[in-house]
Amino acid sequence: MLSKLDKSIISVISKDIPLAAEPFREMAEAIGVDEAVLLKRIRSYKKTGLMRKFTAVLNHRKLGFTHNAMVVWDIPEKMVERAAGIMASFDEVSHCYEREIKDDWNFNLYCMVHGRSKFGCINIVKKIANKIGHVVQYSILFSTREEKKTGANYFTVKVNSK
Amino acid sequence: MNPGSKAKHKLSALDKRILNRLGEDIPFGKKPWEIIARELKIKEEALLKRLALLKQKGIIRRISATFSPRKIDFTSTLVGVKASPKWMTSVIKKINSYPEVTHNYRRESVYNLWFTLVARNRKRIDRVLREIGRVKGIEKLSEFPAIKTFKIKVKFTL
Repeated sequence: MLSKLDKSIISVISKDIPLAAEPFREMAEAIGVDEAVLLKRIRSYKKTGLMRKFTAVLNHRKLGFTHNAMVVWDIPEKMVERAAGIMASFDEVSHCYEREIKDDWNFNLYCMVHGRSKFGCINIVKKIANKIGHVVQYSILFSTREEKKTGANYFTVKVNSK
Repeated sequence: MNPGSKAKHKLSALDKRILNRLGEDIPFGKKPWEIIARELKIKEEALLKRLALLKQKGIIRRISATFSPRKIDFTSTLVGVKASPKWMTSVIKKINSYPEVTHNYRRESVYNLWFTLVARNRKRIDRVLREIGRVKGIEKLSEFPAIKTFKIKVKFTL
């Protein structure tokens, strides 16, 4: 169970951290907690796996990775683990999930492929399909437009203004 | 933001080193930038200046912690929408108005709009989907919840 303090901390560190000499002190002040406590909690979140990472989130389109494809696969149940392992082994694949199917959507495995061109993405998908080996049905859904991309909003907390 | 419409930004060798470093966790200490600057063998002021510039250019969206929604008792899901092209703009506007919507992409498929939701509980997701489902121009809305996560790791070799 997360305490009120945990929720405040998670809320504040999920947002952009200040480019100040002591950013954690500023964040701690904003939520009215000691910097040492804040840092200790962050370390423990990392240790327990609650927090996955604390990194820069990049705009990959601006870095030349202009194309992203959501590739959906119809993989027989007993092959899912192996196929997902193959997909996950590619650096170009950022996400891979098994998902529920629907009457009009028989695809159970999803992966996100990023590339510098449409051709580049297709090439990766072909490599994955080849490695899986069996004839599998898949569909490549290129994104034609990014309409929204933002971080998750966890908890609403009062933030002290300076 | 159509693919290809954005010119690729020229990154210096230093920018690449900075971005590669920031693909790993920042140090959880009093002065994280000072430590990173030392690792990169540059001055802290130089690092902060480059970071400010990379943010200004929009190359860095933010520097922040990422949590596994499930581990902090949040629920997330993926939703596919069959939207009539005629109403696409207003459909997107409505969907994006929810803070729970974190990603939303138009895609080439029968489901032509795909968005992700991160919310505090199942009830909230049901409510948001019910509200969005009523929007004019949405022919069908299907939820594709994850059964198993095999990979989440964004790694761009610069």
